[in-house]
Parts: sequence; structure tokens; C-alpha cells
Amino acid sequence: MAQTTRRRTTDADVATESDVSSETTTATKRPWNVVVWNDPVTPMNVVVVIFKRIFGYSNNKCTQLMLTVHHEGRAVVWSGERERAERYCVKIQVAGLQCTVEEAA
Amino acid sequence: MAPRLFIRRRDGRIEVRLNEAGRDVVRAMVRRVVAAEHDVDDEWDTTLNGPIDPSRDQDDPLLTLARQHDMSSNAELALMTIDEPFLNDGEAWAWLSTLQVALRATASAHGLIDDERINGADDAVLGEIQVLQSLLFSLADVV
Repeated sequence: MAQTTRRRTTDADVATESDVSSETTTATKRPWNVVVWNDPVTPMNVVVVIFKRIFGYSNNKCTQLMLTVHHEGRAVVWSGERERAERYCVKIQVAGLQCTVEEAA
Repeated sequence: MAPRLFIRRRDGRIEVRLNEAGRDVVRAMVRRVVAAEHDVDDEWDTTLNGPIDPSRDQDDPLLTLARQHDMSSNAELALMTIDEPFLNDGEAWAWLSTLQVALRATASAHGLIDDERINGADDAVLGEIQVLQSLLFSLADVV
């Protein structure tokens, strides 16, 4: 009787611990977005070249991203770990585009 | 059809087909970027040192230092190669990056942040922007 009670308690504890642990892990792994903002002077082909050079994306993907920036005012061009996002952001700024990072919603 | 200002040759080099006046424009813009990098009071500073993560009060100093170093390196490489008849890929990238920084800083310093303001801009400023756009448009075709 005592043994049974103890085993039940242990199972419940393990289950609770596991649930808490997975929730915590999910919360700390929210990605960071690299956001490029539209400006009215930069030629479109320049934006495509910069995306290709920095991310190595295909011509089609770069063109799609450039058009998103143009029509929607901004585009998320990369998502992932915060430090990498910041480094990509710096590279894009060095290439002359307006860029920031933000935590994904 | 506008003349091509930069041409990719068969051997991979990029030929610069700018006359002296054209090179003078590039030289002036590149020098301007170098100067602005060293002067926090320069009107281009806002563009050159925009926020990386706006949710923070201050960006990581190591990141801002890396940005300043990379921008200066590009501008200095562009300045060193300003009279060259041919550029390699790294040099052409330095030209493109520096001219793009100059283009956006010029527009931003004159408050030209949307199409409406550009349409009402001073002719001299518009001319400067159009020259930079032509250079960048042609360069992006071969980089």
C-alpha cells in the first residue's frame, strides 16, 4: 500500500517535471527575425544583389524578398538564433540597406 | 539606351568605364562616407549608425564597432581602387556597398524618406541621387 502510493507520487512528479521543462524550452527558443525596411531610393537590382551576396539565396528568392520589401514596406529575410540575426543585420547595414532585428511574435 | 558604366569581362574582371568626371563623383562620395564614419556630428551619422535592435536602449558595442570597421574597410578599399581600370569581385562589392551607403545617407539627410518628398526635392539633390542610382544600377548588373 505504501509502496503503491509512493510509486504513484513519483510518476506524477516525473510527468509534471517533464511538462514544465518542455514549456520552458519552447519559450527560450523563440527565433529572432532580420527585418529589411523599404526606402524610396535604392534600385531594386541592388537589393537583390545584396541578399544574394549575404545569404546565398537563389535569384528567385531574393527577388521575392525584394518585392515584399517594396510592396509591404518590410520583409523578414532571415530567422533564427539571436546572435546570428544580429550579425546578418550588421552585414546588411554595412551594405547600405536599412535593417533591424526583432524577436519573432 | 544608357551606356553601361561597368562591364564584366570574359576573364572575370569588371571593367570600369567611367570618365574622370564619373570617377570624381565616386571619389567624392567615398570620401564623404570615410569622413562621416569618423564624425558623430556628421549629418550622415544617423544612417551610418542606425539601431540594430530597436528594443534595446543601446546596441552591443562590439556589433557597432564591427559595423564601423566593415564600413570603413569597404570605403577605404573603394578609395584605393578609384582610378583602376578593372576591379575584382571584392573591390566591386566595396564600391557597391559604399555607394549604396552614400545614396541612402544623401536621401535621408535631405529628409527624402518617401516618394512624395522625393518628387518635391531640390533639383541639385535629385541630380545627385540619380547619378548614384545610375552607378549602382549598372554596378549591380555585374557584381
